Amino acid sequence: MTLNTSEIFDQICEIMTPFNIKAISIKTGTTFASDLELDSLAVMDMLAAIEDHFDVTVPLNILPDLETVGQVAEAIKTILDE
Amino acid sequence: MHEPTPTLDPSHPRRYADFSTLPEALDYAAGGKRGVNFYSPRGELESSITYAQIRDRAHEIGRRLVHFGIKRYSRVALIAETNEDFVCYFLGCQYAGLLPVPLPLPTSFGGRDGYTEQLHQQMKSCEASVALSAAYMLPLLDEATNGLGMEFIGSPDTFEAQASLAEIKNVKLPEVHPEDLAYLQYSSGSTRFPHGVAVTHSSLVSNCHGIGVEAMDVNDDDRVVSWLPFYHDMGLVGMLLSPITCQVSIDYIATEAFARRPIQWLKLISRNKGTICSSPTFGYEICARRANSTDLEGLDLSSWRVAGIGADMIRPDVLEMFAEKFKDCGYNKKAFMPSYGLAECTLAVSFAPTFSGYTVDLVSEDVLNGDVKSVKEYKKNGNGANYREVVNCGKPLSSYNLEIRDEKDVVLDDREIGRIFLKGKSVMVGYYMDEAATKQCLSEDGWLDTGDIGYMADGSLFIIGRIKDMIIINGKNHWPHDIEWAVEKLPELRSGDSAAISIPGKNNEEVPAILVQCRKRDEEERVDLENRIKSEVQAVIGKTPEVILVPPRSLPRTSSGKLSRVKARRQYLEGQLT
Repeated sequence: MTLNTSEIFDQICEIMTPFNIKAISIKTGTTFASDLELDSLAVMDMLAAIEDHFDVTVPLNILPDLETVGQVAEAIKTILDE
Repeated sequence: MHEPTPTLDPSHPRRYADFSTLPEALDYAAGGKRGVNFYSPRGELESSITYAQIRDRAHEIGRRLVHFGIKRYSRVALIAETNEDFVCYFLGCQYAGLLPVPLPLPTSFGGRDGYTEQLHQQMKSCEASVALSAAYMLPLLDEATNGLGMEFIGSPDTFEAQASLAEIKNVKLPEVHPEDLAYLQYSSGSTRFPHGVAVTHSSLVSNCHGIGVEAMDVNDDDRVVSWLPFYHDMGLVGMLLSPITCQVSIDYIATEAFARRPIQWLKLISRNKGTICSSPTFGYEICARRANSTDLEGLDLSSWRVAGIGADMIRPDVLEMFAEKFKDCGYNKKAFMPSYGLAECTLAVSFAPTFSGYTVDLVSEDVLNGDVKSVKEYKKNGNGANYREVVNCGKPLSSYNLEIRDEKDVVLDDREIGRIFLKGKSVMVGYYMDEAATKQCLSEDGWLDTGDIGYMADGSLFIIGRIKDMIIINGKNHWPHDIEWAVEKLPELRSGDSAAISIPGKNNEEVPAILVQCRKRDEEERVDLENRIKSEVQAVIGKTPEVILVPPRSLPRTSSGKLSRVKARRQYLEGQLT
């Protein structure tokens, strides 16, 4: 059973609910920094929840490239496919 | 079966950092059974290496570096991952007489350009000739070294493929002297104009001796458990080099693993009976906030004897929250050990006594905001509202002379507030290749102006504020001009239009704020500008600031026309700037 990117995105949105304090509607282009206003520690807490859910580890070197929720979904997809 | 290195080692008498150089300290530690252990994010032992094995590998790396032809005292940039490679390369540079320069890892989402630019500036400012990182980080390192004339860029594997063991067999290692530089520490200076603190062997071992003997009183049962990054002085000196110089076994989890699952740190302390485990305040905070009832089950923190706290302002409310959360797990709040230090003094300056908990002075707001210069009248049992609890950071190590001085450099009495000056063996020789910056804080007769504000009371040091303009968020120092420059890049703003400050939040934590002179009247445009300012600042410091739009020309200036952040902050807090 492989997930497609949009299913991954939907699951990530669900995991993110407790972190979405401003209760904004999350789209693929939603940014963690300016839209969700998450600081670096909250981001890591959320990342741990995402990693646990998909049972993956997101390597450090790709973190600097992740600005939006959609990019995280794509990164998880790539890791799951490998 | 895979076992971590032991805590106890009766076969090897302990020496307390009474060495003259770091290689000498490692050579001695290599005579015992202790060493360091690395744990996975989920708490499994991933690798374990004794000091003897570290010495052998570092020796080999040292010979490789010399064989490669890297000139003595050259700078070797190391992306500081929490792993064996970093430890062995850092120490390998010591045997080769080279200066390792630990560089940071990414800490959060986004900010690729900012990260590679930071690495670039640091390597450029010390003219590094070698840059090493794990293979998976190489694309970022390649980007960061772009335009710098490097002799080698690669991973430990590619470097070690340069020569066979037979080729390096007879390579001679240079003699290392106590006054030689041992490494560079980048934790001060701005990201645009970084300057590395130059640390000599003699400064280092002197500081390690003070930490091991006077501060921690290291004994047989001691074991260090740490998540602190090696690119930070508290992680490098406090949790790696000083345990090596006192032959203590260490357990590590990576910083990025701690940030995701902080409870793993406590679980490791529980499992391996950790005794010396230090952190900035925010580390205690995220443990207390994130631990749930399942995490607490079976957790035994009764071995923990030195819970060092340093690196940022110490917040008593957080310590109370931590102690309350973990008291049923055997955590004794007497373990809290406040300290004061800075990279310019290698690491450590003062420590509260061991196993005595923390104590505070209640200091009036009039004193904190600078209206009153003395805490002689401080109230012992004030009722909160207009007082801040200031933590006692203990007595300076005996190798220091310490003075509190006023603006005219006059030495002040007990309980009078001024700038903290230090002199002693652990004070840096200067910022590397930056005479101007060195002269600004280090006098010819060796007194360092820390720029921090505080007072002495009965021999103990109290810190009122760190360098007056600096903004510290989650343990990271940010200089206001870095934030202001980022904001002033926006097309409608000009240089001098903004002032970055920190303001007290609900729980006395530091909240970043930026005051921006705004010419716009239209509400929608103002909101749009605020949002863009937020994202610019977020990109620099990793946290969204409070943005306060103020009228044009309302930010206060000094007589020479320079922005006065201290005045701006005060005016804002007094409600005069809106």
